[in-house]
Amino acid sequence: MEDDLKWQPRVVGLLCKWCSYAGADLTGTSRKKYPDNLTILKVPCSGRIDPLLVLKGLMMGFDAVLISGCHPGDCHYQTGNYRARRRITLVKRFLDYMGIPDQRIQASWVSASEGAKFAQVVTDVIADVKPIGPNKLFKEEG
Amino acid sequence: METELRIEARNLLEKGTVKSIIGFTKGSLKFTTTPLFIRNPDDVHKLVVNRFIKNNLAKYLAEVKECVGIVVKGCDSRSVVSLIQDKQINRDNVVILGIACPGMIDVFKVEQLAGCDRDLIDDISVSDNVAIIDFGGRRKEVELSQVLYDSCLDCKCPVPTEYDLLVSGLSHIGRNEDVGKAKIQELKRMLPEQRWTFWKEQFRHCIRCYACRQICPVCYCERCFIESSEPRWLSPMAQWQHNLGFQIIRTIHVAGRCTDCGECERACPQNIPLRSMVGEMSDLVFKMFNYQAGSDKNAPSFMAAYEVTEAEEIFR
Repeated sequence: MEDDLKWQPRVVGLLCKWCSYAGADLTGTSRKKYPDNLTILKVPCSGRIDPLLVLKGLMMGFDAVLISGCHPGDCHYQTGNYRARRRITLVKRFLDYMGIPDQRIQASWVSASEGAKFAQVVTDVIADVKPIGPNKLFKEEG
Repeated sequence: METELRIEARNLLEKGTVKSIIGFTKGSLKFTTTPLFIRNPDDVHKLVVNRFIKNNLAKYLAEVKECVGIVVKGCDSRSVVSLIQDKQINRDNVVILGIACPGMIDVFKVEQLAGCDRDLIDDISVSDNVAIIDFGGRRKEVELSQVLYDSCLDCKCPVPTEYDLLVSGLSHIGRNEDVGKAKIQELKRMLPEQRWTFWKEQFRHCIRCYACRQICPVCYCERCFIESSEPRWLSPMAQWQHNLGFQIIRTIHVAGRCTDCGECERACPQNIPLRSMVGEMSDLVFKMFNYQAGSDKNAPSFMAAYEVTEAEEIFR
């Protein structure tokens, strides 16, 4: 219980190398402030994000998974984010049916020039995750 | 029905169009059938068509390299089409002997209605919308929808979507979506935490025998992610977290290919209601993307395709 009071959400961000990761970089270099609850993982493309990565993140105890890629039409590999969009939308809805709250899977499009948007996205995500509390889905007692 | 199928099977084998026929024959136990491989035209009399041919034979196709004939029901034919879409088999290498499926009878349901073991049941017959169960000199008549498999009650296309020969005769009249979807609807009425607890409890019983994967016609990967040891995504031990994780990912992997044939649930020795997972997945795919698995052999496979204008609402 005491832990719950001190609890701050931990979010894993799966960011596409070409847009969102560069966008996150820009947020830093332009000295924008955003919550430090995000652990960033660089992936080659949002289309590379296997649902397994999302589930693994939740199993490892992250409170939410943020998936971010290039805007539709801007994929470095032409179509990767279109495929990701279909997959992630489906995964999110399915996990919701299984009983994993909607808020635990977050997605966004952030381009390399949208440093300010990235800061905003992370702020919004953290605000979204805080009310649902710590992720105890895969804990034995929870 | 059977005669038509046997004549065609004999023709195909005698002409040499196919090397073998995959069909069903009478099982060793009452009210069961078992898969049958025929190479000799004189064996075609062993082929049967009845209300107990529940297995999905498309499973064998990905393994068979020669030209074969296969007996399929509606759901099975869609599995075959999914395999064609995924380029696992060549359409020219299969002769699809379709059966307009009348719905399969769940003997467990019959046992419960009769209140006795299947060995004590003398006969199960169907006339119109009524199933007649004869046991111990008594006769019980129930509505057909009470004895069909849930997956059959929920069936969207009993008639094969792709076939070279269609055997019809019995119509699928016992359908009842409310009963077929009852478990899914019940789950949807629960709170998310309750649903999670439900699945958690179910997957405590999972013994990780992988029967669900082995019987699934669209689980054809030679190396399954669950057997990968580097990286080891999930533990091979039978702990509920990993059991549930495995099944969630398997369900996502078969999305857009799963035809809700119900084989995984039937194969499960622990009676985990797997159809409530894959069935909902098929529904989501249909509702969100208007895609039904195995309805068009020329369409690209679901997970490998996209529409430029598609659901955007979850993206910030």
